Parts: sequence; C-alpha cells; structure tokens
Amino acid sequence: MHTVKDFEAIDFFQDDEVVADPYPYLAALRGKCPVQRENHHDVTMVTGYDEAIQVLNDSDTYSSCLSVTGPFPGFPVPLDGDVDVSALIEQYRDQLPMSDQLPTLDPPMHTDHRGLLMRMITPRRLKENEASMWHLADAQLDVYLAAGEGDFISGFAGPFTLRVIADLLGVPDEDRNSFVEGLEHQPRGGVGSTDGEMAYSPLEYLYGQFSAYVEERRREPREDVITGLALAKFSDGSTPDVADVARVATNLFAAGQETTVRLLSNALKLIAEDPDLQHLLRTERDRIPNFIEETLRTESPIKGDFRLSRVASTVGGVDIPAGTTLMVLNGAANRDPRHFEDPETFDPARANARHHLAFGRGPHTCPGAPLARAEARVGIERILDRTTDIRISESVHGPAEARNYRYLPTYILRGLTHLNLEFTLAEEPAR
Amino acid sequence: MKAVIDTDRCRGHGICWSICPEVFDLTDDGYAEVLTPEVPTAYEAQVREAAGSCPEHAITVN
Repeated sequence: MHTVKDFEAIDFFQDDEVVADPYPYLAALRGKCPVQRENHHDVTMVTGYDEAIQVLNDSDTYSSCLSVTGPFPGFPVPLDGDVDVSALIEQYRDQLPMSDQLPTLDPPMHTDHRGLLMRMITPRRLKENEASMWHLADAQLDVYLAAGEGDFISGFAGPFTLRVIADLLGVPDEDRNSFVEGLEHQPRGGVGSTDGEMAYSPLEYLYGQFSAYVEERRREPREDVITGLALAKFSDGSTPDVADVARVATNLFAAGQETTVRLLSNALKLIAEDPDLQHLLRTERDRIPNFIEETLRTESPIKGDFRLSRVASTVGGVDIPAGTTLMVLNGAANRDPRHFEDPETFDPARANARHHLAFGRGPHTCPGAPLARAEARVGIERILDRTTDIRISESVHGPAEARNYRYLPTYILRGLTHLNLEFTLAEEPAR
Repeated sequence: MKAVIDTDRCRGHGICWSICPEVFDLTDDGYAEVLTPEVPTAYEAQVREAAGSCPEHAITVN
C-alpha cells in the first residue's frame, strides 16, 4: 500500500494497484487539491464534488471531444499557446477515437442525437418493458441458480442486461438468440485499458445489425419498436440518416450494458459480503433503491471521463489554461468529504446517497439512468426472492479475512472481472 | 402546494419520477414533467423530497 506521501509516483492510467483500489490514490489527490494536475500524462484530475459539477455543467468551456479516451492517444496536434482552441477542436475532432459516439459530441449536435436516444428509453417504454424485465431475470436465474454456485457476471448480470436492452430496442424475437450470441462473442471493448490497447470501434456488429433493421423498417414499416426508432425525427423535424439511428442504438449497448453489469455485480458483492445488510434488504425491500444509490456512490461503474478546455478558466480556484485535458472523476467526487459525511463508509440509509455523480451531470447525464436503476432493482429483488442466503465463494475469492477480487484493468470502468457466489435456494421460488 | 420544473435545467435523471410518480412523469423525450401542478396534500412530502433530490435543482415548490 502506498502512503499518501508517494502518491505522485503512481500513474493512475497504468498502475495495477490503482486498478485494484483507486480510492486511496484519489483521496490523496483530492487532499492535495481537488483540481490537481497529475504529472505522468499531463491530465488535470478533478476529484472534488463541486468542482466536478462545475466542469460537467459547462459544455461551452469544456469540450467532450476526447471524453472517452483522454490522453490516449490525446489530441492530434499541440494545443498549448492558443487563447481559444475551439477551431482546432472542430478541425481535428473527427480524427479522435469514437468521434461519432454520443459521449464525444458537443452541443448543438449532441443535443439532437441525445434526443434520439432519450426517445428510445422513455418511461413509457420502461414501464412496458418492466414486466418483461422480471421475466427475463427469472429465465436467466433458472439457468444460473440451478448450478448452486457460479460466476454472477457471466451467469446472470451479462446475459440479463443484454437481453433487457435487446428487448427494449425491440430486436425481433426470431433474431434474439443470434443477436445475443453475436454480442457475447464480440471482443470486449478496449476503451480505457490500462495496458495501452485500444480498439477503435468495438461495436461494428451492432452497428451493422441496426443499420439493416432501420433500412428495412423505413422500406416496410411494421408495428414494432424498431419501426418507431427508424421513423423518429430530430427535434427540428428532419429525418436522421440511417447511420445516425444505428449509432445511437449502438451507444445504448456500449454505454448501458457493461456499466449495468458492473453495478449489479458491485451490489451483489456487498450483499454477499455482509449478512446484516443482506438480512436488512431481504426483510425491508423498500430499502433496495437507496442501497442501489449508495452502491453507485461508493463504487461508481464509470470512474470518470475527460474534457478538453476550449478557453482559459478557473475551477476551484485553480487556473486551467486553454487546451487542458481534464479528467472528471465521478468515483472520487462521490467520496468527497465536503459533500458526503464519512464518505468511505457504506451506509445503505445514507440520506444524500442520491447526490452521487455516477450518472454524471449536465448535458451528458446518462440517459439510461432510469433503465439502469430498474434493471438493478429487478435483478436484486428476484435473486433475493429465489434464495434464502447468498455467499461469496471462498474457493474462488478466498476466506473472509483474505479475499481476492480482480477488477477490470481500465482507468474508465470500475468493476469486478468475476464474482463467484454460492446460494441456498428458496424452497418454493415465488413467481 | 405547486411544483414547477425548469425545463432548461432538467436533464432527465428521472429521480423525481421514481420518488413520486403520482405527480411527476417523464415525457417521450425523457425529461420530467409535472402531471398535477397543484400537488395533492398526500404527496407534499414526496414532492419536497423530489425537489431536494433533483441533481440539477430543476424543481421548485411553493
């Protein structure tokens, strides 16, 4: 374990120890200054709560053009010395990775394209889909629980969230299995990998599928969800290109599936590790929503993302020159003691747990937040219903006093690679 | 009690809707709207909680 003193020697973007537990490093950084330049990749790390909100809310000053990739590979040309780098951003943004994806867009283009995505996951759609969410959870639990033990991520969280999104987007029944199989066999996205690998476009498969669906439905509309997507218009009444629609549908998978898997597995780890907490949630189910919020606060599935300052500004009293790459660390802001009392303690009854920034703030706020919350609640409710006890597998993760968990080796995502659980089944599973 | 949403501030977190679906809904575009501007007495506490929980401070009650 590093001491606070030598934290500056740590490279947040490549250090294995930070992957295993980023919080001491982030606390040390915040302790020095909530807006602090790290000296390995010249990234200004925003770890304070108010400071993070200021940056996230101000898309005029801070561009999202490199939001997913930050300093790797970084901006194609030098940005120092200019008073306003906006023109350079417009000139070069197409060369940045994921430049056609929602997280990297800025207003006004972002506003239009996000509007398309918001229309795909409206509350009405969520309400219609919640019933099938319960069914999908049960179908997956039938398989997962039958073995008596197993990896929660590959056995439940992954396939469940994939099927929920396929259902929400209205992937036709006859295509459902090949769709899920196609996705499960895709290489996992290389975004934010700490070993320097970077996949340029990991979602080609989805993009191809959705392009075909949209073209087909525009030619021959049907009474289905994909037809609704295919015929959706921008707010000014113009019709998006097929590619635009396919891209936002792909975004929903890219941003919504992997993250929800990590939320669910972080939640189940907490439940399995803490019998008192498990008992509380089993007996007082109305505590589950706030438990989910506290899980999001303490283990934010997205550790943070990046902004590029267009002009000089001041954040938390610190001068930020034009052309500065900032990383806004949601996972650190969520443990800022100036906003969350005793922030390192997990408190399922924490009154302001909902204030967390796990879904971001401002224009890029996660449009899938209501969906993720619903998936987490349904998944947790059903696994509690169908078991009487959930435990960590000691043969895989070691004894309680010496657990061994592995986390995804990325500087973007915070989540377990696998979570092996054992359970005692409820005698007559309630349906 | 009246509840008003500043639609310029709302980003569609959906928290108000999850706290009090009797008063708040989300539109087809995913942003919050007030179903009953005059809040029924029974829901006043929930509406205050929703206003206090809005991440963008987009809800005012008076």
